[in-house]
Amino acid sequence: MILYDYILSPDAYKVRLLAALVGVKLELRAVDVHPGREHQSEPLRALNPAGSIPILIDGDLILTESAAMLVYLARRAAAEWLGGDDAVDAARVQQWLAFSRRLTEHLGGARATEMLLEPGDLPAMQRASTIDLRELEAALSERRILGQSHLAADRPTIADIACFPYVALAPDGGVSLDPYPSIRLWMRAIRMLPGFIEMPGIHRLHDLKPEPVSPAMPETV
Amino acid sequence: MPVEMLRDWIPVALSADLPAATVLPAHTPSGILALWRSASGKLTALADRCPHRGMRLSYGFVRGEALSCIYHGWSYGQTGQCLRIPAHPELAPPGAIKAASYAVEERNGVIWIAFEPPEAPPPSLEGFQPVRSITVNMDAGAITPNGTVRTQLAGVDVLLIVAGIGDRETIAHVMVDAAASATDRIAVSNAVEGWRRTCEQLGLKELAS
Repeated sequence: MILYDYILSPDAYKVRLLAALVGVKLELRAVDVHPGREHQSEPLRALNPAGSIPILIDGDLILTESAAMLVYLARRAAAEWLGGDDAVDAARVQQWLAFSRRLTEHLGGARATEMLLEPGDLPAMQRASTIDLRELEAALSERRILGQSHLAADRPTIADIACFPYVALAPDGGVSLDPYPSIRLWMRAIRMLPGFIEMPGIHRLHDLKPEPVSPAMPETV
Repeated sequence: MPVEMLRDWIPVALSADLPAATVLPAHTPSGILALWRSASGKLTALADRCPHRGMRLSYGFVRGEALSCIYHGWSYGQTGQCLRIPAHPELAPPGAIKAASYAVEERNGVIWIAFEPPEAPPPSLEGFQPVRSITVNMDAGAITPNGTVRTQLAGVDVLLIVAGIGDRETIAHVMVDAAASATDRIAVSNAVEGWRRTCEQLGLKELAS
């Protein structure tokens, strides 16, 4: 499986993260998005006319939507990440996959404007982001009352992976996560998963490892 | 802010939102504190600024009985005293390297902090259980003059513990009867979203009791 990847793309990170969590080896092709704008070059447009990153290729299959890539990886390697089979559970996963597009548009838009200097109406995207985050916080608070830590099942699913990166990077777009205690604990639960990997702006939990013992070195003055 | 307010207990978070070995940024009318719970369960509130390079300690992490700064790993104990500097493992950190610490009390699922130790403990809230905390983009004084709101949400009696945490920013801790069922708590959790929208859209003072 080949992933056309960009280290700062939260959508590409979703795919790398799930692949790491379920043990799928991806062949990464780094795309020079900035400053080269290689994703909009003709060779990549031939794969993805929209000119967006990531692109996942497996044989004849070409996927250009990260939610579809998550479904494909889970179904190939770890079906438990798809969530339950009944109508409610399946619909709930789809609801959050679709909701993650709102996060891309609003939180991702704010981040692109604030951090990557793309044009955009920053205050409007930040207001829309707040509505999204409040909806997510309310949903996670309800799950906690039911004794559950994840969005769509009693275990992590692709719904969590689809929503996690743009939420975790909200401060890049000038949107604080301080008002959301349930989101904080949910992000912690995801970062505690065995096999979790980082991206710039989303670091691992240092507290999961014992304190490193520094080698005794002479003090320098 | 008035000096007498600084002597009051401020409700900053719910116990359930701060499990063992975690830290969170506690917003108060006088700024943000790094509120953390050690692995053994001890609560500490420190100034949210590492004495080394000024990084927010609430970005850090808790390992055992110490809070470590995310920047260079300097770790701090319950008094705020620096315990360890990883780049100088043989060095006992001088007493001057210390983050200010503040009074913390936890009662019936609510965590309160105070900048000056008050004479009386925080309110007990006996008979209530917390549902969740929300932040409202509105001045606390426009919601209630006395820090509490009693109302009904989704047909359930609700007590809101309210504190202003900034300009047009208020934290509200939603409490219900200690015997309320999970169904009732979920109904209240959802209904408080509507309460917040009403507050923010209309600023209705009559919502306060």
